Order: sequence, then structure tokens, then C-alpha cells
Amino acid sequence: MSEATFMGIPRSKIDWSPRIDYDKCDDECMECVNFCPHDVFAVRENEKPKLIVKNLENCVVFCRACANTCGLDALVFPEKTATTAHIKQIRKAGVSNG
Amino acid sequence: MGKTYAVLPCNGLDKCAGCVTREIALQLSAKTDNEIICPVFYRVAEARYNRLAQEKPLLVIDGCATRCASKLAAEKRLKITERLNVSDYAKEENVTLGAGLSLDADALGLVRRAVTKLLNDSEKDNARQMSEVDDFFPSSLDYEIYKKDKFIFRLPTNEGFYFNENDVWAYVSGNRARVGVTDYVQKSLSDIMFFTPPAIGAEIVQFDELGVMESGKAIWEIISPVSGVVTAINEKLINAPEMLNQNPYEQGWVAEIDLTDFDEDSDLLHVFDGYMSILKRKVDEYRVKD
Repeated sequence: MSEATFMGIPRSKIDWSPRIDYDKCDDECMECVNFCPHDVFAVRENEKPKLIVKNLENCVVFCRACANTCGLDALVFPEKTATTAHIKQIRKAGVSNG
Repeated sequence: MGKTYAVLPCNGLDKCAGCVTREIALQLSAKTDNEIICPVFYRVAEARYNRLAQEKPLLVIDGCATRCASKLAAEKRLKITERLNVSDYAKEENVTLGAGLSLDADALGLVRRAVTKLLNDSEKDNARQMSEVDDFFPSSLDYEIYKKDKFIFRLPTNEGFYFNENDVWAYVSGNRARVGVTDYVQKSLSDIMFFTPPAIGAEIVQFDELGVMESGKAIWEIISPVSGVVTAINEKLINAPEMLNQNPYEQGWVAEIDLTDFDEDSDLLHVFDGYMSILKRKVDEYRVKD
């Protein structure tokens, strides 16, 4: 697989991935795990919590589809506006650095 | 009420929102000629409800984002005409549904408002705005094709098309844009069963949600490539979401937007060459989830 980038920026520099609100998540249904085609989530069978966000950088920047499938409304994402501003800032710095 | 529905509630007993769907369905059927499809009985008595769903437009009422009723409709290949998600509606109405299954005064108030809304919506059925036909959009498009196994992905080569990395295009002319999704989206989703448009008049910031599409496989937010005000939606998609699969660049366009600052937006957009290489990479790396 080629190096992950978004708008030419290494994916690792962009903070965009789901956060699990364990106060809401029942740690049982695993609807998000079944849904996400990018293996962002992982299930640890003998640990608590079972559900974790494992592959943060697999998450498609600005995609929040898993949050829309969560019946318990337990997935939270960063603010899009702040993420967009951050991306533009990095791109600008990249250009000015030549 | 001009139109009557076959009403499919999720009827879930897992949380309060499911009980609210049941109450809404009961009140709708009590007030008008709406008829309820019982999701439990439907699983064992398909013929009876298939007939009903063919005779009347289908109203699906989901309790939460798990969308059990929508999924049942997709599984039975029913065409959804109207839909309500109780959890979303509760948020809009600033109502917090209780943890228990019985309906308190707030929940019953929400039921009453939902019933009124659904009855009014059916009367305003044809009142939504349509985009006027004009010469803003090219009368025909030229495409370049990328093939992978049996799948063919088209991409318009006409000048004026821009793409974000979330697989949404914008055709821009002056201060106006028409927006839609690319072939990569519609092929990944497979048969699109439902399209929820953005609201006309909504002020959109680049990368905001611009409507939602759903297939039996997934729910997918359309992530806007541009900022501006929604001036039109493709009304035809509401009753014929399959047009998104047929051609998402022409008859399957999504919305039109009056642009606020396209120079700024274009900083985070690709033109044909840039997006084509991204499309190829995505297609090559795509794998079907087990």
C-alpha cells in the first residue's frame, strides 16, 4: 500500500479519527467494527474495553460514517473546521519551506 | 392528508426511541388510512406486507442510527418514500429520551409533533424546489475510464470539474457549482436505496455534510467540496436514488450551491489529473470487507 496522504500531507499529521465515549458505548454490539471497511476499530476478546480505535490513520479524513451507524451515539470526531484549518496551515508551511 | 403510507416502524424494545417509533406508527394509523407493517411479523409473513408496500408509498421510522427498519426495507428490496429517525428528530427538538421503555410526557410530546410533521409533509409532498433547466451545466460530458476487473470507473474530463479526496465532485462556473459523487462512491456502496438531500438555503462550509446516501451496505455522508449556500437539490433522487448508480455526474447530481469563496476552497481540491491518480489508487487498494 502506498504511503497514506490527504491533500499531499502525510496522514499521520492529521488528527482525524473516532473517539469512543465509553459512558455510552455498550462494548457489545460492534456495529462500528462490522461497518468500517478500513479496519479502524479492533476487538480485544479478553480485555476491557473490548472495543478500541486501533488504526487511527486508516480513518478517512472527514468521514464520520461510523458515527452515523452507532445506535448509542458513542462515537465522536474532531471539529471539521479546526481540522481543515490545520491542513491548510501545514500545506502553507510546506509551500513556504519550499 | 393527500397521501397515505405503509408505515414500517422499527418497533424496537431495546431502547425508548424504538417505543417512540411504535407510538408514532399507531397514531398515524389511527388518524388516517396509513397502515402499519409489523417488522416482526414481516419476517415470517412476507407476502402480506410486500403487497401492502407495493400498494402504498413506504414510510420507514427508525428509532436510532442502527436503522433496523431501514435495513429490513433494504433486505426486502422495498422502495422507501419517506423516513424519520426518532433519535435525530429528538435532537432537533431538544428532547432527551429516557433510559426506560415507557414514554414520559416529553416523549409523548415528541410523538405528537412527529405525527403532525409527517401528516403535514405528506400534504406538501410536491412543494420542494426543483432546479430550473438552463445552460449552466454542459449538455454532454466527456469521460476517461479506468477499468479494474469487471468494474468501470468514469471520470469527466470537461474543464470546470473539481474533486475532493472524499470522492465528491463540483462543477464550477462563475459563482455557482453543481455537486455530486464520483463513480468510486456509487460502486463502493452498490445499490443506493435512499438519498437524504441537504436543506435548500443551508449554509455549507467546505467538508460539511451535503446530504446522505444509503445502500444495504452502508450509510455515506456526501462531504461538500465547496462552501456556499444550497440553492437547489436534485429532487428526482428522492424517489429514484438509483439514478446515483446510473450516472452520478449527469442525471445523478446532488445539489447546486452559490459559492462564497471558491478561491479558498480550490486550495483543497483536485482537477482531473490529480483526482484520477487518487481514484486509481483507491480502486487498486479497495477490498471487500469479509
